[in-house]
Amino acid sequence: MTLATATQPKEARDKAGVSRSGSRRSGPDTAFHLLVAASALLVLVVLGGLVLLMGVGGSLAFRTFGLGFAFHDVWNPVADLYGAWAPLFGTIVSTLIGVAIALPLAFGTAFWLTAMAPPRIAAIVGTAVQLLAAVPSIIFGMWGFFTIVPFMARTVQPFLTHHFKHVPGIRFIIHGAPFGTGLMTAGLVLAVMIAPFMTAVMRDVFAAMPAMLRESAYGLGATRWDVMWKVVVPWSRTGMIGAIVLGMGRALGETMAVTFVIGNVTAVGWSLFAPRSTVASLIALQFPESPAGSLRLSALLALGFILMLLSFASLALARMLRGDTK
Amino acid sequence: MTPGTTQGMIQDSMMTETDPQAAKSPEVALAVRNLNFYYGENHALHDISVDFPARRVTAMIGPSGCGKSTLLRIFNRMYDLYPGQRATGEVIFDGRNILEHDLDLNILRARVGMVFQKPTPFPMSIYDNIAFGVRLHEKMNKADMDARVQDVLTRVALWNEVRDRLNAPASGLSGGQQQRLCIARSIATRPEVLLLDEPTSALDPISTARIEELLDELKEEFTIAIVTHNMQQAARCADQVAFFYMGRLIEVDSADRMFTNPKQQQTQDYITGRFG
Amino acid sequence: MSETVVSPTGWKPNPRAARRRRADHIATAFGMVMAGILVLVLASILWTLLSRGLSGLSAAAIMKPMGPPGSSSGLANAIVGSLIQTFLALLMATPLGLGCGIYLSEYGADTNRFASCVRFVSDVLMSVPSILVGLFVYQVMVAPFGHFSALAGSVALAILAVPIIVRTTEDMLRLVPTSMREAGAALGATRWRVTLSLCLRSAKTGVLTGILLALARVSGETAPLLFTSLGNQNWSFSLNRPMASLPVTIYQYAGASYEDWVQLAWAGALLVTMGVLAINIAVRVSARRG
Repeated sequence: MTLATATQPKEARDKAGVSRSGSRRSGPDTAFHLLVAASALLVLVVLGGLVLLMGVGGSLAFRTFGLGFAFHDVWNPVADLYGAWAPLFGTIVSTLIGVAIALPLAFGTAFWLTAMAPPRIAAIVGTAVQLLAAVPSIIFGMWGFFTIVPFMARTVQPFLTHHFKHVPGIRFIIHGAPFGTGLMTAGLVLAVMIAPFMTAVMRDVFAAMPAMLRESAYGLGATRWDVMWKVVVPWSRTGMIGAIVLGMGRALGETMAVTFVIGNVTAVGWSLFAPRSTVASLIALQFPESPAGSLRLSALLALGFILMLLSFASLALARMLRGDTK
Repeated sequence: MTPGTTQGMIQDSMMTETDPQAAKSPEVALAVRNLNFYYGENHALHDISVDFPARRVTAMIGPSGCGKSTLLRIFNRMYDLYPGQRATGEVIFDGRNILEHDLDLNILRARVGMVFQKPTPFPMSIYDNIAFGVRLHEKMNKADMDARVQDVLTRVALWNEVRDRLNAPASGLSGGQQQRLCIARSIATRPEVLLLDEPTSALDPISTARIEELLDELKEEFTIAIVTHNMQQAARCADQVAFFYMGRLIEVDSADRMFTNPKQQQTQDYITGRFG
Repeated sequence: MSETVVSPTGWKPNPRAARRRRADHIATAFGMVMAGILVLVLASILWTLLSRGLSGLSAAAIMKPMGPPGSSSGLANAIVGSLIQTFLALLMATPLGLGCGIYLSEYGADTNRFASCVRFVSDVLMSVPSILVGLFVYQVMVAPFGHFSALAGSVALAILAVPIIVRTTEDMLRLVPTSMREAGAALGATRWRVTLSLCLRSAKTGVLTGILLALARVSGETAPLLFTSLGNQNWSFSLNRPMASLPVTIYQYAGASYEDWVQLAWAGALLVTMGVLAINIAVRVSARRG
């Protein structure tokens, strides 16, 4: 705890609080300070431990396969050969699909809520959307499993196969038996899961724009869309980017919503309709059956480490784009 | 001359020739007739009738909440943004009642500009702040746009201060400069009427004086309606002054008479600072 | 009364305006369609959840413990297990989160490097994929002891709850005006008294909101429990042994091929969702009052 007090300059302490006025701190005051500083330290230790254990646990895999671990596309427990590319590819592509679908949904809905909807309806729908952003992800996974997967298998995939089977360029994207699982299904479910959250944030950001600024734009004869696109969006750019990146971060690390619908096959390929896996789903499924000390367990921990880095990178990106250097 | 049916009767000279009545009193840009305004159930303006003479400054004074800003916001139908707010009666502008439902609001707002209590620069460059409004209504090549930007910035006496940083964000300007930019932005769409809602309330005295000077020049070309809390400002800038109290128009007269010899007791009390 | 000015071209429709209006119509339609799709999809989720959940929900589902397929079993032990684990998690996370939040707001000025570091780490923790928290706790609390335990599950949930409590506590305490701290100090109160009995008391509602939000967040978490408390078919109240929880049971039952298990999974999903929504609504109502 000496660390905290030592690195704390005088003016910082003055700024942080009051009640010093030259006199020495009383005993209980020091104890209280130590107590709360200790809990702060504990939070630091937890994250440090998380990163450390993931890295140490995965070191066996990193040592065995080198840095190429991240880009090997074989994940074969029988041959004890592990590469992270298949689940990483699945994670990245399903996240991108999810964000690509959720973004227009969220933006359009937030636009409607702030600029068009009658206030009473906007209040109801806005609150409902905010509430749904809190629904546990496993619910979205179940819904995807029982609704989207059969829909994909029975309707979408046969349709696509029938009409686009011979179209070069599309053929390899839709290739695959009609299981209904895969990256597209996972992306859809992720989109539905993050869209309420992104909508809620965007709506708050749009609504935070001063009414006078909005009125000045209308006052020049602008239409709703002119105001939205040329004034509101530039004004709330940083907040919108924050919403998108945070949504992306959620999709990246999502386990339950994805595990139900991705099919869980560690393969790499461009088809969006064939069973695949993601980092989180692979960990959820294979971790319980990996013996302690095995190379497989280490490979899973190494995967976790990489996922940690990805999620960290997305948070850092959000902060950087926000112009927040701290 | 029936509004809306006569074509081309805009020049003063023609008016004088055809209508001797109009020669005595100045032409009217905005004619308000029996106007009532409601915020939901709240009856905010009661039966207002008043003329806004063309190319003159009309100041609207009165204590807070008296309805003067409300009246201003009717002239460009800003209240349309908010459900539950409605107006009845007539506001005749260029031969039409602008309260009509089928009126093209985009055109109305291009012809009736507005400047707010606080500077409202858009989150874009100084140049784009001006070009924004112009592009909404006119298709224009770069050279013409440059000329328009320079012209309006010169007229608000901002050109020399910003000519080297037209592409810098407008938010970097000082408050007074921002407000002049907002006025430039409003006149860039070549409106006929300029609405100013306490345009100097957020500015320091020097910036305020510059805006007031500007008004004097702008009234050569625009009909100006200004809401102000500042009695001196009304006396300095306005040709006509309207005093509002609790949603009613108490008195309207030339600025000289209003401040030297008001007819109503309430007006006198307000002007001399006994309330409000 | 004099006539108003009339201009010859004033109200003529402007082709540019017409084009913009078309763009506006398209954008308006886009916004409405997107909102419509989102509302419909979300409504369909709620509808599926309600219709399938309600048909699976019965007195037996709530009162009876889990059991083999076809044995008219229920979710009672999972419900109780979830309650125990989330309650325990809050019990651990609340003092820690409060302490850390108090430290950041009362002692952690912007120039305090340690505090900035903790603040950043707390934000990182808030966005860490929850399954990684499960992995971490597995290595710290499960692997060394050789068995899964309810305590490990609670710790995993607590780790997810802490950053939420930290963030709201700090934000709410920062809203307390400095004048209140000064007034307290002027009365001769020591600093810890000022913090606890003045600042924390006046920020009470906000801090409570944070705790409730943390509760809502962790009560639906599945991934961190998979490798920690594991799940349990039977009644168990020992913190030292695997314990059932509603989300993990849903996960196990939903994928099963027994119709009655699937029904129970839906019933469980409905219960979890209603619980989470109820907490969120309570937060909203209290925030509006407060």
